Parts: sequence; C-alpha cells; structure tokens
Amino acid sequence: MRTGIYFCNCGSNIAEKISATAVVEAAASFPEQNYVATVDFICSEDGKLQFEESLKAEQPDRVVVAACSPRDHEGTFRRCLSNAGINPYLMQMVNIREQIAWVTEDPAVATQKAIRAIHGAVCRVEKQLPLEKKQLEVCPDALVIGAGPAGMKAALALAEAGRTVTLLERTPFIGGLPVRFEELFPALECAPCMLEPLMGELLHGEHAGRIELMTMSELVEVTGFYGNFIAKIRQKPRHVSLRDCIGCGECVEVCPASATNEFKNNVSLRKAIDFTFAGVLPNAPFLDQATCIRWQGQECRACKDACPMGADVINLEEQETVVERRIGSIILASGSGLYDAAHVAGMGMGTLQDVYDALQFERLLSSTGPTGGQIVTKAGQAPRTVAIIHCVGSLDEAHKPYCSGICCQYAFKFNHLISAKIPEAVITHYHRELVLPGKEAQTLFNHAVRSGKSRLKRYGSIADLAISRDTNGSMLVSSEGEAFPADLVILCPAVIPAEGTDQLSALLDVSLDSSGFFRELHARTDAAQSSIRGVYLAGSCREPMDIQKAIQEGMAAVGHLLSGLQPGRTIDIEPICAEVDETRCSGCHLCVSVCPYRAISFDTEHNASSINAVLCCGCGTCVAACPSGAITGHHFTNEQIMAEMEGVLK
Amino acid sequence: MTADSVFEPKIIGFLCNWCSYAGADKAGGMQEVYPPNVQVIRLMCSGRVDPQFILSALVKGADGVIILACHPGDCHYKEGNCRALQRHSMLMLMLEQLGVEKERCRLDYVSAGEGEKFNRVVRETVEAVRRLGPFLPAVAIE
Repeated sequence: MRTGIYFCNCGSNIAEKISATAVVEAAASFPEQNYVATVDFICSEDGKLQFEESLKAEQPDRVVVAACSPRDHEGTFRRCLSNAGINPYLMQMVNIREQIAWVTEDPAVATQKAIRAIHGAVCRVEKQLPLEKKQLEVCPDALVIGAGPAGMKAALALAEAGRTVTLLERTPFIGGLPVRFEELFPALECAPCMLEPLMGELLHGEHAGRIELMTMSELVEVTGFYGNFIAKIRQKPRHVSLRDCIGCGECVEVCPASATNEFKNNVSLRKAIDFTFAGVLPNAPFLDQATCIRWQGQECRACKDACPMGADVINLEEQETVVERRIGSIILASGSGLYDAAHVAGMGMGTLQDVYDALQFERLLSSTGPTGGQIVTKAGQAPRTVAIIHCVGSLDEAHKPYCSGICCQYAFKFNHLISAKIPEAVITHYHRELVLPGKEAQTLFNHAVRSGKSRLKRYGSIADLAISRDTNGSMLVSSEGEAFPADLVILCPAVIPAEGTDQLSALLDVSLDSSGFFRELHARTDAAQSSIRGVYLAGSCREPMDIQKAIQEGMAAVGHLLSGLQPGRTIDIEPICAEVDETRCSGCHLCVSVCPYRAISFDTEHNASSINAVLCCGCGTCVAACPSGAITGHHFTNEQIMAEMEGVLK
Repeated sequence: MTADSVFEPKIIGFLCNWCSYAGADKAGGMQEVYPPNVQVIRLMCSGRVDPQFILSALVKGADGVIILACHPGDCHYKEGNCRALQRHSMLMLMLEQLGVEKERCRLDYVSAGEGEKFNRVVRETVEAVRRLGPFLPAVAIE
C-alpha cells in the first residue's frame, strides 16, 4: 500500500516553522511506503489542480494532506480525491498550521512534532476504508399536529408547495386558543377576522384539496423514522359529517341535553350537539357522547330528525376509528395553555367570586359570552375598581421559573378594553416585572399610563399579595401593608405546555425541557428542530409566544421540511455512522440507552442491537460503550484511532 | 535522561471535533506558543473516547493523556461529553488502583472560543506530567 503525502507550505505560514525538506527525509524512513509532494497553497485553484493532477498521475492507495485544519478544508480535499477518481474517505488531514506551526516557537521542534503527526496520519489512513453515501427513498408528505396559528400556517404553506398534509386537531375546531378572542394585542384586531383568510384557505382554498383535516383526533402511535414514518391516528366520532353539514344549527335547537362549555372556559352552557362557539370553523356542530342522553340509555334522535340536509349528515352510529398515514416529517404545533391559578396561594382562584383568569375574562369580554360582553360583577354591577395581577406563577421558582412573555401585553389590552367600556374604572396592575418587547408592545402600555386611571404596583414575591373579602363582602388586594379595593380581579397565569404534550413527547421520543415544553435541537441555531430528526417544532409548544411569532415558526418548520425532503429526490445517508456486528452483540442494550438520537433499537428476532443509519449522527458514543466490541464506528474505528496513536508515539 | 536535562513528556490529546478541536484551532489563530508535547487525535465526540484508548496510549509510550470535551450542556451530540465524564471517572478509580497518578489523565472542557483556555490546559498538563516524570507501564500496569 502506497500513501501520497501532500505537504502544503501555506506560503510562509507553515514553511517558516516546518521544514518540508526534513519532512521528505523523515518520510523516506517511515516503514510505510509513501511519497511526498510539496505544494505552495494547496487550497488555491492552482493548488487544487496540481493536487488532482498529481493524484491522477501517482494513483496512490491512500492520501495524507498536511496543511491547515480539517475544519477548513477537509471537504475541499475530499472533492479533489473524488475528481481524481479516488474514494474521498481514503484521505486523512494533518493540521500542521493551526495546531503546530502557529503555536510552536522552535522550528526544529515544530518540524519534529509535524513529522510525528504525519506519521500518525499515514498509519491511520492505511486502515481507512472507502465509504459510500447511501440513498434512501422518502415520502415528502407531512403530518401537522395542532390546528392553531402555527399549525394552520404550516399546513397551508406545505399544501401550497404541493405537499399532501394531514392536519390533526384534538378539538372539534381550528384556530387554536386565539380564535376565541375578539380583540388581540397589540392592535386590537379581531382574532376570527384576522385568522379568517388563513382558515378559509385551509378549508376551502385552492390548495385545500391537499390538506386532510382530522378534528377530534389524536396521534396514538408512530413507527419508522425521518422520511418514512407511519402514524396511527385515532379519530373520535364527531357524529356530524364535515362534508355535508351546512352549519344551520337546527339540530342544536332541538337537543334536550346540556353541559358546561369547556371551549368557553366553563362559563356558559352548550348542548350535547352544539357548535363550540359562535362563528367556529369548520362550521359544523359536534355531538358529545358524554352529554347526549342516548349514551345514558335513553332513546333520542331529535337532532337527526331535525337535520334539513337529510339522514346522512348526522350519524348516531359512528364509531371511533384508527387510521394510518405514511409521512416523511412531522410538525409539532400542539400549543399551550394556562397554569391553574388555584395553585398559587392567596389568589382566590376558584374560591372568591369575581376572580377570573385571563381566559375566563376573555369570555366575559366576548359579545357571545355570558353577559353579552358587559363587564359586570356577579352582583350585576359594573366594577369601579379592577386589579390585574401579572406574573401569577411566572418568574417564580415555586411555580414556573420563566417569564411567560405575552401576559403584560394582554394585561394592557384588558386595561384598554375595560376603560373603553367603563371609563371611570380605576385599574391597578400588580406586577413582578413588566415585559414589553418589540416595536409595538408599548402602545397599549402607554395608553394605560396616560389614561390617568391606571396604576402600576410592583411586588417582590407573589406571596406578598393576598386577595380577600372583608366582612362587607368587598374584595381587597393587600400588598406590603397596603390594601386596595377591587370589585373585579383578573389573574394572568403562567403559560404552560398544552395538555397532551407529555404524551406526544413519549410517542415521538421528543425530549422536553425542564418546564415541559418541547426541547429544541439547539435553542438558538436549531430552534425549529426537535431532538428527533424529521420532527419539527412550531409555536407555543416550544415556548410561550404570541401569534406573530407562532405563525413565523410555522413557516420556519415548513422551510426545514421543504428543503429536507423533496419529491422524487432521495436523502443521503452519511457513511460516517455506526454499525453493529450481530454475531458479536451480547444483547446487553447498553448502546440503546446511550444513543442521544434514539437511532439504536433492539432487534428481538436476531437478538442483537440494530442501528438506523438515517438517524445515526456518527458521534461514536455507542462504539465506546459496547462491552463486546460489536459496534464499528465507520471512519473512526478502534483500529484507525489506535493506529494513529501508535504512529504519533513511535 | 541526565539529571539536568528537562524531561519532555509525550501526551496524547483526544479532542472532540466541534468544540475543543475548534478551540485548539482558535489557540492557533491567536499565534501564542504552547509546549509541543501534546499530539492531537481528532474524534467527532469526546463520547467516542474508549477508556481502552487511554490505557493503550499509556502502554504504547505516552506519559499522559488529555480528553477535551464541549462544556456540559454544549455537546454537539447532546450528551456525549457527559458519557466521556462518566467513563473518565470510572477509569480514574481503576487507574488509582493500578498506581497511575491521576494527573496523567485529565478531562477538561474547552469551547470553540476558548483558545486561551486550550493554551492554559496544555501548559498545565505538560507541567503536571513533567513533574511526575516518565510513565513506566511495566511498573504500573503490566
């Protein structure tokens, strides 16, 4: 075996400290057969040409390039090898510039160190093997979980790009949390109006045919890996055909059973068959078995009989189904919810009347809410004093340590809306911190401050605040020895991951962070990717955020998806990955537990571990962990590393 | 080796590609000299360092070994550096029983920006191993 050693002078950068002549002399005495060629700037256009021509003429079995850092030019020189018809993995670089010439004082010492390093590389490269990138057929279609702003935007953009999308939604409607709000910060836009174009396109637009919306559905199992997932989806019976229903509501009128409406934060009632809220999309009611008297043993088919569109629209016999979809990637956009303020002592949540959390107060503000949009206390009076408590459970080690990011902005929105309806109301904001980032957030804050009716009171710890009723029945907010009356209290609780986030994490093996949100692959440089390849994150399932950011994140995830998987194109499988020798595997499962990418599974049929080359990132931690020496880390084999070590020590 | 000549230890440095190898490149870019005693072996991740590499290095003529990893929480492969730490801790227990001084096998963290730290870790390690003198595997291991 003959190795070609290419020594780059790098002008004077290397030549000044390391003698090419000494290297040539030393290499002549290496026991390994070799030749040395010196190039002035091997990375220059001329240098690369000279390198390639020399490779073609000399036809070495292996190549060593002694030059700069492989972090600079390993890719460059691998391409030169390919151009010269040599497998690119038959090359080893020696970093004689950054790690020797530039940091060693004495040229003779630097030269000796370089010779040892080059010898190590020659010994290593002899053990290197040609490697090939493998190709894998992939499915370009996607599954989007959650039809809130982030998920809807992602699904629509994917459909516009020609992809087939399955859009899963746990509830009977689309639009997520904000679609229920009539006015949004910072510009007091109406949420259904703002989201309507997106929702309309999604349901009935030009590209809607490529979006399969599945409401009242959830993921139950996922198998496979990036490019080739199979998702099992459980769809609960809606009992109303989304295709045939015209949304007239005749069935709702005649329904005899009712329950509190969880989609209106339990502050009003709904029928067993009903719309979740006015203006909901898709514009069709759903039948709730838990409320319907048929499921309590009574004979009733009032809704079905009332339907003017015929007997096929309402199907009382509809059963739960489990369907399978083949997809290549998954976007998690499962959203967030609010921390239960009852967990925070002294806030009166659930025990005192006229204490609401932010979502409940949104219902009170709503023109379709229990008071038709009038802000009144339970006693029917317009409140003269209102307390808005910020940071309830946020920025609090005893609850949630993070800032929820959006609360200050909606708190000043509440301020604005209350002032508009009750101009004489005095509003006190109790806050731990005020967080108003970006170019628009200060508008509503300024409005509150300039109104002359709003006060800001900072507290150190929520434990210093207490909400109580005195003997007259008046509510008081006490803080640091002072007590102010409040006819109405609005709590702004911490934003937390939506219910079901834990289950999705377990189903997909996607890691959660310490607060229970989905963990990013890298919080700054790869925030749209999860810990699992091909599973992307968008919106407030990742961290608390507003609609603008959630929609942007939906698009970011789509960007990854579109550039990652393209119809008709395969994906490359990196050859620097690990592989198990089944005959040597003892079945201890240690590798399965150390793999950070869940790339290793245990094949019970062959009683051996098996590594998925698509998911393997080539870190080699399983190779080091395997007590049987059954795992080979391609391009970083024990033999190669040992050879390099012995080579530099000789 | 005569009594008045300075002992120049041979040290093998296992560096992960993403942080510590980049840190060593950064040290190079700063062009501040450090002792030439460390021969670097680049691995993709410190989690690839098999304890056998360290024993082997010592047996085959190294006087010391350093493993440099990404800082905890910064690992390119999420947690390879934690595995490296676990394996290093276990190996240290074993080396102690074999009579190998702990200064001969150091694990530290160098980020891609920490050229100065790389320079310092190399100096400290070389100095520590120099004080111990040559490693004689026949006494300690065989």
